[in-house]
Amino acid sequence: MKKLLAAILALVMVLSLAACGEDAETQTDTQDAGQTTEAQEAEKVTFTVGFDAECPPFGFMDGEGGYTGFDLELAEAACSIYGWELVKTPIDWDAKDVELNGGAIDCIWNGFTINGRENDYEWSIPYCDNSQVIVAKASAGITTLADLAGKTVGVQAASAALDVLQDPEGRKDIADTFAALQEFPNYNNAFLDLEAGVIDAVAMDIGVANYQIATREGEYVIVEEALSSEQYGVGFKLGNTELRDKINDALKQLTEDGTVAALAEKYEITDMIILK
Amino acid sequence: MEISSILLQLLGGFGKSMGIYFLTLLFSLPLGMLVALGRMSKKPLVRGPIIFYISLMRGTPLMLQLIFVYYMPYALFGWTLSPGWRFYAVIIAFVINYAAYFAEIFRSGIQSVPTGQYEAADVLGYSRRQTFMGIILPQVIKRILPSVTNEIITLVKDTSLAFAIAYVEMFTIAKQIVARESNLVALIVAGLFYYVFNYAVAAVMNRFEKKLSYYKI
Repeated sequence: MKKLLAAILALVMVLSLAACGEDAETQTDTQDAGQTTEAQEAEKVTFTVGFDAECPPFGFMDGEGGYTGFDLELAEAACSIYGWELVKTPIDWDAKDVELNGGAIDCIWNGFTINGRENDYEWSIPYCDNSQVIVAKASAGITTLADLAGKTVGVQAASAALDVLQDPEGRKDIADTFAALQEFPNYNNAFLDLEAGVIDAVAMDIGVANYQIATREGEYVIVEEALSSEQYGVGFKLGNTELRDKINDALKQLTEDGTVAALAEKYEITDMIILK
Repeated sequence: MEISSILLQLLGGFGKSMGIYFLTLLFSLPLGMLVALGRMSKKPLVRGPIIFYISLMRGTPLMLQLIFVYYMPYALFGWTLSPGWRFYAVIIAFVINYAAYFAEIFRSGIQSVPTGQYEAADVLGYSRRQTFMGIILPQVIKRILPSVTNEIITLVKDTSLAFAIAYVEMFTIAKQIVARESNLVALIVAGLFYYVFNYAVAAVMNRFEKKLSYYKI
C-alpha cells in the first residue's frame, strides 16, 4: 500500500512538472514579465491580447497545446515590429469588458465586431469584413431568412450576432419570427444542439461558420441572405489611443509587406480581408 | 488529431487542476478547523459572523463565488487586475468555500464526543488543550473521515469550475480542444482523468479508515 501511495505522489509530482513546462511555453511567466518591465523602466514590453480560445480560425488551441489563429499570428507579427512580448490570455467572452477595463488584458483581438460597439472601445482600423449569417442543416430546407419563422435559433452569448438579432434597428424583425432564440456559451455547444436537432439553425460570423462547416461531418448550408454586414477591429480600452495608434501603424506596415495577405491565405479567409 | 497529443495537452491541464486541488486542501483544512472552533465559541461576537459566513458559502453557488472573488478588486475598488490574480482568485474562492464545509464536518465530529469524556479528563487533571489534542481530536478524525472523503472527492470535480473565470485547467483545455476538433473526444478523455484520480483518492482514504479502526475487533 505504501508503494501505491508513493507511486501516486510521484505521478502528481511529474504532472505538476509537466504543467510548469507547458506554462513556460504558452504563457509568459508573470514573474519574468515583471522583472523585464523593471529592467527596461517605463517602456512597455508585454502586449496582452484577450481572446476567446474557442473561436477558430481567429483564435484557438493548436495541436501542440499553444494558442494560434489568424488574429493571434497577426498580433504576434505586430509585436515583433515593436519588440514587444505577446501574452495570449484566453478569456471568457461574456466577461471581456471587465477583463479589459480591469487591466487584465491590453486589447480584445479576436474576430471582434466593431458595428454596434463603436462608442464602447477605442477601435483600430477595420481589418476584416464579416457578415453575420445563419447556418442550418442542408436537409432542413432553410434557404431564406423568412424560412426561419417558427424555428429555434442558437447564438453565442454576448456575440455580435446576438446584438443584431436583439437590436430594433438591426434584424429584431427576423428574430421576432423565431420560436425561440437560444443562447450558448460557445459555438461548439450550439453546433452539437444543431446536430442533435434541438435547434434548427445557428446565427454566427461567416468566418467561424466556414471553419465549423469545413471541420464537421454532416451537411450544413449558409443561408445566402446575410443578417448583417460588419467589420472586425482590435478593441482597446476607451482613452487608450496611444496603444491603438501603434497597432494601427503596425497593421498598415504588415499589410504593405504582405504579412496580412499571407496569413489570410493560411487561414483561408482571403475574401474577408479589407487591408490590401 | 492523434489521441496521444490530446492526452498530452490534457495532462498539462491536469497538473493545473491538481495545483488547485492540493492548494485548496492545504489551506482549507486548517482554516476549516479554526472556523469550526469559532462556530462553537461561547462569545456571540465570534460565533455570529462565522455562522453568517458559513451560510453564505453554503448558500451561494461556488461558480458565483469564483466570479465574485476574481472581479471584486476591480468592481469595488477600481484596482487593476494583474495577470497572476486569476490563479490567486481561484485558490481564494475554493479555500473559503471548502473551509466552510469542512468546518461543519469538524463541528459534527467534535460535538459527537460525549461530555462525560471532558469531565473524566478534567478529573484526571488534563488541561483543556491536552484534552482536545490527546483525547477528543483522535476520535474526531476517525469519525469524520467518511464525510471528509466525500468532500475531497467532490473537490476534484469542482476544480473544473475554474473555467468560469477562464483559468486554464483541464476542463478549460478540454473545451478548447473540443472547439478545435469539432468533436467530443477530449471531454471523454478529461472525464477519464477525473475518474481515475478519484478512484485513487477513494482507495487512499479507504486505507486510512481501515488503519484508524483500531478499536474494532
